[in-house]
Amino acid sequence: MRGHRWVGLGAVAVVACAAGVAIGAAPLALPDIGRGLLGAGGPAATVVRELRLPRVVLGFLIGGSLSVSGAALQALIRNPLAEPYLLGLSGGAALGAVAAIALGLPGAWSVPLAAFAGTLLVLALVYRLSLIEGRRLEPHVLVLAGVVMSALTGALVTAVLVLADAARLKNAYTWLLGGLESASWPAVLLFAGYAALPLGLLVLRSRTLDLLALGDEPARHLGADPDRARREVYLATGLLTAAAVAACGMIGFVGLIVPHAVRRLWGPLHRALLPAAFVLGGSFLVLADVLARSVARPLELPVGVVTALIGVPLFAVLLRRSLT
Amino acid sequence: MKASRAAALILGLLAACAPARAGRDALAVRDDAGVTVRLARPAGRVVSLIPATTELLFAIGAGRTIVGRTHWCDYPAEARSIPDLGDGLRPNLEAVAAVRPELVVLYRSAQNAEAAARLRALGIPAVQFAVDRLADVPRVARALGALTGRRRGADSLAAAFDTALAAATTPASPAAPALLLLAWDQPPMTIGAGSFLSEVVERAGARNLFGDLPAPSGTVSLETIATRDPDAILVATEGEPAFVRRPEWQAIRAVRERRLVRVTGSSFSRPSPRAPEAIRELRARLAEVLR
Repeated sequence: MRGHRWVGLGAVAVVACAAGVAIGAAPLALPDIGRGLLGAGGPAATVVRELRLPRVVLGFLIGGSLSVSGAALQALIRNPLAEPYLLGLSGGAALGAVAAIALGLPGAWSVPLAAFAGTLLVLALVYRLSLIEGRRLEPHVLVLAGVVMSALTGALVTAVLVLADAARLKNAYTWLLGGLESASWPAVLLFAGYAALPLGLLVLRSRTLDLLALGDEPARHLGADPDRARREVYLATGLLTAAAVAACGMIGFVGLIVPHAVRRLWGPLHRALLPAAFVLGGSFLVLADVLARSVARPLELPVGVVTALIGVPLFAVLLRRSLT
Repeated sequence: MKASRAAALILGLLAACAPARAGRDALAVRDDAGVTVRLARPAGRVVSLIPATTELLFAIGAGRTIVGRTHWCDYPAEARSIPDLGDGLRPNLEAVAAVRPELVVLYRSAQNAEAAARLRALGIPAVQFAVDRLADVPRVARALGALTGRRRGADSLAAAFDTALAAATTPASPAAPALLLLAWDQPPMTIGAGSFLSEVVERAGARNLFGDLPAPSGTVSLETIATRDPDAILVATEGEPAFVRRPEWQAIRAVRERRLVRVTGSSFSRPSPRAPEAIRELRARLAEVLR
């Protein structure tokens, strides 16, 4: 039974990636796509190799990372509403991006880098605010610190928006809505190299995440160090989210819905939950991006809009089924 | 009940008289929001909250009537010395009223509709105009001429504009080079057919790569741009734009070959009497880049 589920999951991933390469903004013929993948020359091959393929890979990595972050945060905070942007990180990203555009920072990567820096700043501030006696992260203090930082960054973003050139900043907002349009092979390599560490750490802490659900005292009796685990999990999910935001803006619902869906199908143990969430989250984002690119040609929808439009009804069905 | 009926009757009579009086003075103008604004006499103090109408008022000889402008009104140079009343959208009514205008010109938008209504309630005539396309230049010039008592100046400007525009226009050709009108690069946003810049491009003898997009602008994907393969990219930045160094943009031939056409300056950003000049300038730059 368990094996069947993994085979099904693998099939979903393969279908998603195939669709991601086959269907796009520009209607290309399948033979052209095949030749492009095999290294032929020509404009269609360039589109497939340099735009479509890195976009599928980056989308998969980011969808997977957001889902794993969401799953780990839900365990850390012991709250089903937890998702990667809950702890004020989105506000930091927005502030960074808006500030970079308002100040006209030069360079090809200024907006993503500023968003990354803004996210790290909020990550550090929330961490410092929530740390008790220099070692303990209280879940409810974390949530409050995140909400407070969201309010602060929100106010700062509004102030910048009012004071600076409105037309340019509207574009900053569109960037934040999220999209995979800036995918390229260097971006894929950078993100993969960076994300491997926090992802690996979260997978290594699977058992500790299971134990956190029991409460601190039982967890300690079973050999876990809840304080250290919380600090590590918080920092790992935050660093993953910061990189995801820098790569593609904010893509909502993946990190909230996929972990819940996987928990209902695979059960609560993180050893299976995290890898399954990675693969399902990746497939989900790739499929959502296929729709974002192709439903309104030649326009492109923000992929976050699509993840919400498909994700919410799917999740609602799953939620009702599991309740009956 | 009786009193209110009497009041309605009086109001009705007043309303019936008003067009007759306005007809005599010929100072009634229907604005782009469908509101007919009547002035007892030509406005001698105008607040112009659209950069394009500030420019038009100067062009028809009514520049000295302007007592307030937007932050973005930068042409002609004399406009700079007029008090800056903000960015023009949802204006600060107190600041507008403080310069005692006899007419306020607003951009036609949902946000400004409320401002126009409140100004009228304060007894300040307010009009809303959409100055988005080439055809709006002579049309709005004539309306402003009527409102400020510069009909003759407006009529001659409109006639000169139409002649200059016709002279500057290159007839459409199927061999016209395709231009990507890039408004923003992350995500890629293009300017569509429903825009002033698209009109300028077409009259300069080129073709908008996204001429099939009826909206003024839209987000498109790099894949579509690469497949449609523009001959050049039109950008509004000084110097080399940052996106040409990003790896994902290298899939586009015009980026690899650095075929960029720069259009800077306000004559490209808003419809104005300078549009024929802008068209000629663009044609010359295009010839340089596509040589």
